[in-house]
Amino acid sequence: MPKSQYVDPGKAFDAGYIHFEDIPVCQYKKTLKEELKIYSKEDMMRIYRDMAIIREFETMLNEVKVKSEYNGVKYNNPGPAHLSIGQEASAVGEAYCLDINDFSFGSHRSHGEILAKGLSSIHKLDDNELYDIMKEFLDGTVLNVVEKHMNAGGNIKELAINFLLYGALAEIFARKTGFNRGLGGSMHAFFIPFGLMPNNAIVGASAPIALGAALYKRSNHKPGIVISNCGDGATGRGPVLEALNFASMDQITKLWGMDGKFSDGGMPILFNVFNNHYGMGGQTRGETMGYDMVARLGAGFNPSQMHAERVNGYDPLAVIDAVSRKKKLLLEGKGPALLDVVTYRVSGHSPSDSSTYRTAEEIEAWKAADPIVAFKSKLILGGVATEEDFAALHEQITARMTEVMKLAINDEISPRMDLNKEPDAIASIMFSNQKVKSMDPEREPEMLMPKEECPRVKEIAGKVRTATDSKGKPVSKMKMYNICDGLFEPIIDKYYEDPTLIAYGEDNRDWGGAFGVYKKMTEAVPYHRFFNAPISESAIVGSAVGYAMCGGRAIVELMYADFIGCAGDEIFNQMAKWQAMSAGILKMPIVLRVSVGSKYGAQHSQDWTALCSHIPGLKVVFPATPTDAKGLMTSALEGTDPVVFFESQRIYGIGEEFKADGVPTGHFEIPFGEPDVKREGKDVTIVTIGAVLYRALDAAKILEEKYGISAEIIDVRSIVPFNYEKVIESVKKTGKILFVGDACERNSVMRDMASNITEMCFDYLDGPAVVVGSRNWITPAFELEKSFFPQADWIIDALHEKIMPIPGYVPKTNFTDIEKVERAKKGL
Amino acid sequence: MATVVIMPRQGQSVESCVITAFNKKVGDTVEKGEILFSYETDKSSFDEPAPESGKLLAIFREEGDDVPCLENVCVIGNDGEDFSEFIPKDAEDEAEAAPAEEKAEEKVESAAPAAEAVPTTGAEGIGAISPRARALAEKTHADLLKAVPTGPNGRIIERDVQKLVDMGLTVSPAAKDGYTSAVAGSGINGKVVLSDLAAPAAAPAEAVPAAAPVATYEDVKIPNIRKIIAKAMVDSLSTMAQLTFNSSFDATKLLELRKTLKAGGEKMGLANITINDMILFAVSRVILNHKAANAHMLGDTMRYFNTVNIGIAVDTERGLMVPTVFSAEKLSLNELSKSAKTVITAAQSGTINPDLLKGATITVSNLGSMGIESFTPIVNPPQTCILGVDCVTKRIKEVNGEDVIYPSMGLSLTVDHRALDGADAARILKDIGFALENIDLLMAK
Repeated sequence: MPKSQYVDPGKAFDAGYIHFEDIPVCQYKKTLKEELKIYSKEDMMRIYRDMAIIREFETMLNEVKVKSEYNGVKYNNPGPAHLSIGQEASAVGEAYCLDINDFSFGSHRSHGEILAKGLSSIHKLDDNELYDIMKEFLDGTVLNVVEKHMNAGGNIKELAINFLLYGALAEIFARKTGFNRGLGGSMHAFFIPFGLMPNNAIVGASAPIALGAALYKRSNHKPGIVISNCGDGATGRGPVLEALNFASMDQITKLWGMDGKFSDGGMPILFNVFNNHYGMGGQTRGETMGYDMVARLGAGFNPSQMHAERVNGYDPLAVIDAVSRKKKLLLEGKGPALLDVVTYRVSGHSPSDSSTYRTAEEIEAWKAADPIVAFKSKLILGGVATEEDFAALHEQITARMTEVMKLAINDEISPRMDLNKEPDAIASIMFSNQKVKSMDPEREPEMLMPKEECPRVKEIAGKVRTATDSKGKPVSKMKMYNICDGLFEPIIDKYYEDPTLIAYGEDNRDWGGAFGVYKKMTEAVPYHRFFNAPISESAIVGSAVGYAMCGGRAIVELMYADFIGCAGDEIFNQMAKWQAMSAGILKMPIVLRVSVGSKYGAQHSQDWTALCSHIPGLKVVFPATPTDAKGLMTSALEGTDPVVFFESQRIYGIGEEFKADGVPTGHFEIPFGEPDVKREGKDVTIVTIGAVLYRALDAAKILEEKYGISAEIIDVRSIVPFNYEKVIESVKKTGKILFVGDACERNSVMRDMASNITEMCFDYLDGPAVVVGSRNWITPAFELEKSFFPQADWIIDALHEKIMPIPGYVPKTNFTDIEKVERAKKGL
Repeated sequence: MATVVIMPRQGQSVESCVITAFNKKVGDTVEKGEILFSYETDKSSFDEPAPESGKLLAIFREEGDDVPCLENVCVIGNDGEDFSEFIPKDAEDEAEAAPAEEKAEEKVESAAPAAEAVPTTGAEGIGAISPRARALAEKTHADLLKAVPTGPNGRIIERDVQKLVDMGLTVSPAAKDGYTSAVAGSGINGKVVLSDLAAPAAAPAEAVPAAAPVATYEDVKIPNIRKIIAKAMVDSLSTMAQLTFNSSFDATKLLELRKTLKAGGEKMGLANITINDMILFAVSRVILNHKAANAHMLGDTMRYFNTVNIGIAVDTERGLMVPTVFSAEKLSLNELSKSAKTVITAAQSGTINPDLLKGATITVSNLGSMGIESFTPIVNPPQTCILGVDCVTKRIKEVNGEDVIYPSMGLSLTVDHRALDGADAARILKDIGFALENIDLLMAK
């Protein structure tokens, strides 16, 4: 959409051909002799050692799963174990090329990647750095165990290997001394100080998150690259394909450097597919996919074909060769890249896998080609080491593994979290609840002009910050400070305060956001901090998660709340969960803006606050006035927690009707959780969620003027967290309460709150806590909406029919119990 | 549509009732209002009228069964109608049922409107009430029996209670509790104040006979409570053979003792022992000699008590209440006086434990201080007598040929002639009179 790029009808129809370059398939041909010119014998032996450690680690877990015993030590592990026996060369080859500035993300099958990258980092870090990392991590919890109970002979690197193996295994066994206090487990273990970013139990979910990490590096000029590891099965997932495209967007190289100041080239990310031929049991090549080879995908995403290659993942040197070349490309600003690393999972998908989908011959054939055995033979043949050297090495590894296992299963040394003794242990990490003005106070925010020159800032300066003027006359729409302005002010302020802040979503930049919240912001914010995302909701939210994990702050927008469904996993499993799954190590400062529509029918009008507030770990707010919009957005942006920020398209243009002094200028926070009494009354309490506030006010007016009933209106503003105290106080006063919102009534937030109020205020209630929500239908066309969304009349009807009949009142809708029973029977 | 008839709840503390007789049998045609069965609580017995006309489809209980309140007793409906949903779990096996033809098909039809089988709110006197309205009623002592429900589905809501308060229709919570649990208690005495009491339904209001006393001078709709009291009164008088005996005794010694106690009692650490306390004391000592007067008459059984639990009629701000002093025969005069004061004070302040409003074996009602010379107190069933105490008047008697003026105190004893004869009553009065006349001797005993 940028005006700088002319879409020329004269050229759009030009005839021609799309040319593809050949995609290399297993072209690595170097001999050991050639490689020994690059890598020392010690390097070769270390490559071997790392593969052998991974093999032993996975073998141990397999033995524990299958026999409840490893090397004579008994243990039962009820948790998952997705092993990667056979894939060691791929993992070690990749990790060999990476340092701690390179972030790698993985999948449910990432023990190998953790150990490989951990071992590689241990080798590359100097002893002091290494020791400091271990000492600082979780206040030395992991280090203390291995220092006290294992003998590393005073060797820091040996100590660090113990640390790595023990931290990972204790995590897998859900021990408090694990890398994530046992809260992540086998499929989520990670260790940030080594650049080992969270692994993910949702297939393919790491791709958009890794993309976000690359975005963080790209937009904040951080060193290193990002590796997005996944299996070939994951390439069938939308979020992976979205991430491949997002990372390949033209704008990154064509527009992000438009003023010549901030260009760092393409997205520094390598999508690395450990192609083990199966997605659980589904054979990708030949059955569930059509690309023949994963590497072909690269050709679909950008003219450089993502520098895609297919590589022999059974040869660590071939992998090292490929990854080091890709890393170089990425550092040169030529990303993204794609690798199809051919490997094989000799172990089952999980220990319960009986391999019904493959033949014994196939498994045996791959076992015969075992990468570790093959590499050993190669090294022996090449004179690097002898059979005896390897035997000694293996003996050492087995002994170490046994020792680590004994420690990790020792309930005294490696206790699990005791939720009886510390009942709040998990509760205390669900949210980080911090206030951080700038996520990177060292740096100056990159902006294109001083704040006071920003056209929108200037425009707002001339606006009236109340809905009516001093004479009580309505302010004209053009001059009135509205909810869009209330959202904009804290955002632009934060842009000038926090250099990591980025905002993106569909049509955010020149359009100004579909509803004008970002109008005239384009002039002030450089592209790499504010851009149009592809229509890829999973990638939009998923990348924000990765961005935040790395230490940045992001505002992402989904345009319509209905599109939450398109980013379901990213919102519900990723954004919501990672703070707690990381035992509080990660912060998640994301504001996810979603807008509740109207007029646009069934798929563009839904209030999904209930979905978001159901998921533990998300904060959910829904302001309905310019002041609240500003105050809550300010708080959201100061915080370190993920916030789903609901807005309503019905009221973007509304002015401040409640605060006589108008919307406060300057920094102004409204703490999350506090509802606001928008109208005081004594006879009935009406609690509103979102834009329905204004219909409730209409109802209150009718009740007052026609029936002498005084209604108190409480606007919840913040759904999670929520402080019930004001509502309880109000119910004590009025005894009557209705919850009103635009969400479909069934299982709505209103229902939840009504149930809570009934529990807490039962003795004060003069009638049931009543819910007035939308019908459990599709949203009809605009002209029919009054039969779907709660109207002022409905509120009065509900009061009349369920709580307090109003003499002389004739209800227009049916809120009777009989009707309710009938509707429920029909699923309505 | 089959209609289930449940065992009504006769007051809050009643958990079950015994069916004494069925007037109809399965297959009989019944008219609305015809008596279906009779039942009783430990205090009273009742008749259950048919709520609808129709055929008696099933009876789930037998005569003599102790049926938990609100549980199903029988079903009225049309021939062949399915009533299986009403069969109580515990009675399922032994239900005496008319054959229900085409059960399966009918079941489908009758499934939806099952809600009609829910007992009507009238059964307890007070129907549905919001927690807030109930709390307000408790705080303000509003008389819920007089409430006109204006909430949805006949629910009493806050404004209905507020209206009662605004109209001054209140009752002490203790009195309310007392009378909701002791239905016939409203007939305990002939006092006019009784009319203000919140005695709950002895039977649904609809069943009140037209003969209830009505106001004479203007046409005022009779409130429910009045109807209920009327029924309770008539029930008490119509189910018993009550008659009252009057006598008097020389109260000289009694008054002297009172004077002595008043002057020196405090120094002795005694309670402020009143004339009434002495009368209670005399009753507690004498009445065990007349076991039919310290008894409950329960249908065809007499229950004679070995202890004397004296009900004391107390005129309170809210109206008459009858707290009980238990095992009075074991208490000294001083102890009895203290106990009586405790329960009387609690009754007057409205803080009395409802349990203390039950369980009396005999009642004493003293109107003497109000100048009443003679009256006919009404027995509180299932007790068999009530002693009324009258005022002191001057009388003349001949002593050694001379006319001597002496203080005379009247006693009015009402007895249930079914349980005692006139001579028994006369003997009781004589004994009590003698004991009071010779209170010094009684004290020495």
